[in-house]
Amino acid sequence: MANKQSQSNQETLGKEQKLLNQEAIKTIEKEKERWKEETVKGKVGEKEYYSDSGIPIKLLYTPDDIKDLDYMEDIGFSGEAPYVRGVYPNMYRGRLFTVRQIAGFGTPEDTNQRFKFLLKNGATGTSVVLDLPTIRGYDSDDPEAEGHVGAAGVSIDSIEDVEALYEGIPIDEISSNIVTHLPSTTVVILAMFVAMAEKKGIPLEKLSGTNQNDFLMETTVGSSLEVLPPKASFRLQCDAIEFASQNLPRWNPVSYNGYNLREAGTTAVQEVACAIANAIATSEELIRRGNKIDDFAKRLSFFWNLYNDFFEEIAKCRASRLVWHDVMKNRFNAKHPKSHLMRFHVQTAGLTLTKVEPLNNIARAAIQGLAAVLGGAQSLHVDSFDEAYSAPTEESALISIRTQQIIQTETNVVNTVDPLAGSYFVENLTQEMAKRIRDYISEIESRGGLVSVVESGWLHREIADFAYQMQRDIESGELKIVGLNYFPSEQSKTKVEVFRYPESAESTQKEKLRKLREKRDNDKVEKALRVLRQKCHEDVNLMPYIKEAVLAYATLGEIEELFREEFGLWQFPLV
Amino acid sequence: MKIKVVMSKLGLDIHWRGALVVSRMLRDEGMEVVYLGNQFPEQIVEAAIQEGADVIGLSTLGGNHLTLGIKVVQIAREKGFNSLIIMGGVIPEDDIPLLKEAGIAEVFGPETKIENIAAFIRSHVKSGIA
Repeated sequence: MANKQSQSNQETLGKEQKLLNQEAIKTIEKEKERWKEETVKGKVGEKEYYSDSGIPIKLLYTPDDIKDLDYMEDIGFSGEAPYVRGVYPNMYRGRLFTVRQIAGFGTPEDTNQRFKFLLKNGATGTSVVLDLPTIRGYDSDDPEAEGHVGAAGVSIDSIEDVEALYEGIPIDEISSNIVTHLPSTTVVILAMFVAMAEKKGIPLEKLSGTNQNDFLMETTVGSSLEVLPPKASFRLQCDAIEFASQNLPRWNPVSYNGYNLREAGTTAVQEVACAIANAIATSEELIRRGNKIDDFAKRLSFFWNLYNDFFEEIAKCRASRLVWHDVMKNRFNAKHPKSHLMRFHVQTAGLTLTKVEPLNNIARAAIQGLAAVLGGAQSLHVDSFDEAYSAPTEESALISIRTQQIIQTETNVVNTVDPLAGSYFVENLTQEMAKRIRDYISEIESRGGLVSVVESGWLHREIADFAYQMQRDIESGELKIVGLNYFPSEQSKTKVEVFRYPESAESTQKEKLRKLREKRDNDKVEKALRVLRQKCHEDVNLMPYIKEAVLAYATLGEIEELFREEFGLWQFPLV
Repeated sequence: MKIKVVMSKLGLDIHWRGALVVSRMLRDEGMEVVYLGNQFPEQIVEAAIQEGADVIGLSTLGGNHLTLGIKVVQIAREKGFNSLIIMGGVIPEDDIPLLKEAGIAEVFGPETKIENIAAFIRSHVKSGIA
């Protein structure tokens, strides 16, 4: 009987099965015309309506707007292909999304204290942001680092700093997110993290967490003085992913960063398309190196930015899972179901925070956070209201945690999976977003792929054009922002308590470095760096050699200086 | 003669969106803008002198305004660049008086209309305050 049942399921599955009765659709279409004439009478609003990405929005969505959908093919069940409804069968009933608030300032010891504060108040993982010298590969005592040490993130110079950062934090029990941004930073920090765990005797299979590792961060999203060439940065990105796929079964060695692209200036469609295009490029490279798609695809993760266009952002989350499933299954022929499902972290949109009437940002972030949960995010960072002024204070960071907890416990939205499925509008928009994401990926590929569009500066121009247009729209009032150009604030000044970075971080870090360079075995450092230098020019994974170097107490700046020397520098396109 | 602005990201600060948008919109306002990308104070001042700029525009969201920002003014004055130096980005209110005291003519926050920046530049360059 069971056999027969399954057979009959397969038979019907093979055929196209529309979600809705096509006869009924015809009636609805006819009635809709009548309704327009008799009831609406042309009163559809004074202008054309568009989503933030420029998708035309109708007055009313009806069953005929999803008439071509096949439920099993295009939507399905949670935890099953094509994962539109979510990556896990029971979603938030099984595990609530991780409350993951970024922290990072001053010395590793300073940030360690903030970690402990957040964990005590209900954060369920750590997430660290690094200061600019660390991100850009300079030690705290480098002249380039002046004025930046411990300022916009925590300073990390050596493995000793990573040890201090995680002192007393159970990294074998809770997940660690490390916002490394660039691949060149990632390979060093990940090597330090792994080496620290080994020194502590923690089995590597117990390490769970994520590092960011996106070559677009190095070459496109953020400008800097010294930038590695896109190909070199992309190679390091792939090195970290390959190393983790072989050694760290619970680690996500990449978080394809749509978030910062969006902050720099893209639509929601471009955000997702660029991130998936990067994952496609990565997969092609790792396969070229002899890996199998199912060895690494299941640990590729993504990072989205949710703006205020509530339904478009939810549709984006659903559409991104749909496109990813298609890419992995049909393009790369991945077999393991985990390779087909897209997991993503969400941070609410920094760019939507206003400096005027900053408390309004609590409302914005809550709405964006709610969209993330309705979109099926795996973890969430809710921005703090004061972030147009400075990094968050302890007080504002706590409000962000509380916002997440309110969504988790008071709204009941987590009790059922993907509650907006079946909405004519949301399903239609999901399909439209998926189509546009695919089209933009095709456009990137027709220009030679993601590495090429970075090398040529095409992607930089796309971003710059968008950012320019958005500013024009704000200034013309076409894009309305409450308190700014819509009911402009009458409060001349709002007093916001500003978070102050510990000014002593620079001198403390410099002193630690001085001592380190004195006490370490410098011959051992030299030797490890010599090997690494040579390996930069071979078709091998650099991770094991970087790990040797950090274990010998080579500093982050020394290793990255080596990269700059061996790979050369690239002229960031001034668009 | 067009007003000439040398615009730069300050030091390692990675956020180029604001600097770029302001550069383009100042061009729309009829100014000539040389965008340097990321530079340190010495190079910014050097470029401004070489270009014969009327204005140095500094952009930072990375928390280096008090250190590197003030350094730009110091080096500029040492080297005889006496024109206008302005700044934009995420800057805490309390720091603005310190920056102005040091010689930054004006600090523009995230929600400034670009036409206001242009108006400020015009009035100061023309009136000779710069």
